[in-house]
Amino acid sequence: MITKDEVLHITDIAKLKISDEEISPFIEKFDKIIEFVEKIKVVDTENVEPLYQVNEDNYLLKDDEEDQILNREEALQNTKEQKYGYFKILKVVE
Amino acid sequence: MDLTSLKAWEMKEKIINKEISCKELIEAHIRKIEKEDPDINAFITLNKDEALRESDKIDAKIKNGQDIGLLGGLPIGIKDNIVTKNIKTTCGSKMLENYVSPFDASVIEKIKYNDGIIIGKTNLDEFAAGDSTETSYFGPTKNPINKNVVAGGSSGGSAAAVAANMAALSLGTDTGGSVRQPASFCGIVGIKPTYGMVSRYGVVPVSDTLDQVGVFGRDVKDATLILNSITGYDKKDSTSSKKSDSVVSLANFKEDKDYLDGIKIAIPKEYMDLVPADKKAQEQFNTAMKVFEKSGAKIEIVSIPHLKYAAEAYYIIMTSELSSNMARYDGIAFGHRAEEYETLDELYVNSRTEGFGNEIKTRIMAGTYALTGAQNKELYQKAMRVRRLLQEDYDKVFASYDVILSLTSKDLPFEFNLTENNLIESYRANIYTAPANLVGLCAMSIPIGNVDGLPVGMEITGDRFKEENIIKAGLGYERAVL
Repeated sequence: MITKDEVLHITDIAKLKISDEEISPFIEKFDKIIEFVEKIKVVDTENVEPLYQVNEDNYLLKDDEEDQILNREEALQNTKEQKYGYFKILKVVE
Repeated sequence: MDLTSLKAWEMKEKIINKEISCKELIEAHIRKIEKEDPDINAFITLNKDEALRESDKIDAKIKNGQDIGLLGGLPIGIKDNIVTKNIKTTCGSKMLENYVSPFDASVIEKIKYNDGIIIGKTNLDEFAAGDSTETSYFGPTKNPINKNVVAGGSSGGSAAAVAANMAALSLGTDTGGSVRQPASFCGIVGIKPTYGMVSRYGVVPVSDTLDQVGVFGRDVKDATLILNSITGYDKKDSTSSKKSDSVVSLANFKEDKDYLDGIKIAIPKEYMDLVPADKKAQEQFNTAMKVFEKSGAKIEIVSIPHLKYAAEAYYIIMTSELSSNMARYDGIAFGHRAEEYETLDELYVNSRTEGFGNEIKTRIMAGTYALTGAQNKELYQKAMRVRRLLQEDYDKVFASYDVILSLTSKDLPFEFNLTENNLIESYRANIYTAPANLVGLCAMSIPIGNVDGLPVGMEITGDRFKEENIIKAGLGYERAVL
C-alpha cells in the first residue's frame, strides 16, 4: 500500500496539492492503479530492448531553419501578466 | 431535402454540380447545430461567422470556374485539442479556458488548403484523457443515437457532431482508442491512421509516442476523403514519416471492385479470453464475420500473446508521457493562473491544482510515480520492453494476414457517471483499441449493427502504412451489407 508520505512526495514532484480530506480516497484509488500496472512485472523481458519509437524513420534532428517563430506579441498573447514585453512573474532572486 | 443528412461526398458533388451553394450547406448546418446542440453539447466553440464568410469564398470560386479542393465547402468539426489561430483551443479544460493559439496546426492548414470549412471546435475529455467525454470542463456530450448514454471519448464531440448531422466530417485524436471508440458508440466510421501518417504539429500533446490525429465520417468513403486531405510528411513534426505521402488517395479505390474476395483475416483469440465483450455485441460481430466469409474472405484465429499485458503497458506509457507533457502548464506563459500565491512555487502548484480536473491529476500522479526512482526501471522501461514484444507479435501476424478484426469496444455505449466506479475495468477495456497505438498500427471502426438500439462497431486493424488494406476491407464490408 502506498503511504501518505509517498503520495505527498509525488504531489510535490508533480507540483500539485492534495488536501487532507482528499488523501485517503486517493490512496484507495491509487493502490488499485498500482496493483493493476504491477501485473506487467511478470513478463519475461530478458534481452528485450525498450521500444521508445514505433517507426524507424524518425527525423529527430532537423536543419536549424527559422520556420517556427512567434513574434513578441504572439508569444505574450496568452499570459496573465506582462511587463516591458516580457512574462511577468514573481521576483525569485533577492 | 435535409442537406445535412447527406454523405460528405454527396454534399461535395452537389456543390460542384451547382445544385446547392456552399453557403446554403453551411447555413443548414448552423441551423442544425442551433437546434440540436444545446442538448447534445458536441461543440465547445462555434465558428459561425468565419464559416459563413468562407462559404462565400467557395461559392465565388465555383462561380468563376476555379477548381475546389478535396474538402470543397464541407463543414468540418475540429476536436478542441487541435490549435486554431483565431478560435479558442480549450482542450476541454479550465486550464486553457481562454487560450487562443498564435498559429494554426498543420492539419488545420491542410483542411483550409483543401477548402474545408471549420464549423466549430468539438468537446472532449479534459486533455483527451478519458473514454466518455464526461471529464470535459464544459460538461459531457450526449450520444445523438440515444441521449441517455455517452458519446464515447475522448473525441466524443467530434463523433456526435457527425452522427447528429451537425458537421459533415470531423477530426479527432486517438491515443488509445479516442477516435475508434466514440465512432463505434455513435454509429459512424472512425480511422486512426498509422503513427507518422498525419502531422501532430499544433496538436496539444498527451502521450507523444501514442497520439495520432484521426478522422470521422458517415461511411468509409467520407472518412477516407478527409484522411486523404490531412496525411503527408511535415518537417515541423519530427515523428511525421516520409512514408506518409499519398498512401490513401481516394483515387486508388475502385467503385465496383469486390475487395473482400481472397482477403486474409486474422481474429485474435485473446480478446474473448481476457476481457470478454458484451454477449449481444459479440453476436453482431459473429454475424459480420459471416458477411466476410460469404464474400470470399479467408478467416483464421491467431494468437497475439502479449495482448495479455497491453492494457498495463498502455496505461504506464500513456500516463508517463502525459505527466511529462502536463509540466508545461505552469501558469506563466499561458493557461490558468491562480489568484492567490506568495512564492513562485505556490504560483505553479495553485495554478495547476485549480486548473486541472481530477482525472488529469490522477494520471499525472500515476505517470510521475511510474517515472520516479525504482519504478522507472520496473514500470516505465518494462512497459517499453513489453511494447517491443507486442510489436513483434503483430509483425508476425501481418506477415501472413491483411487485416485483424475485432469488436471496437467490449461494451455498448454506457450510461453517464459509471466510469469513476469502474476505473480499472475501463483501463482494461483498452486492450481492444490501445495496442494499435502502442505499436503504431492503423485501425478503423465501422458500424456493424446495433443492440437494443445502441450501435456496435467493428475494428479493422492493419499494419503500419497499410491504410489501403483497412479501407479496402471497410469498403468491401459496406458494399456487401448494403
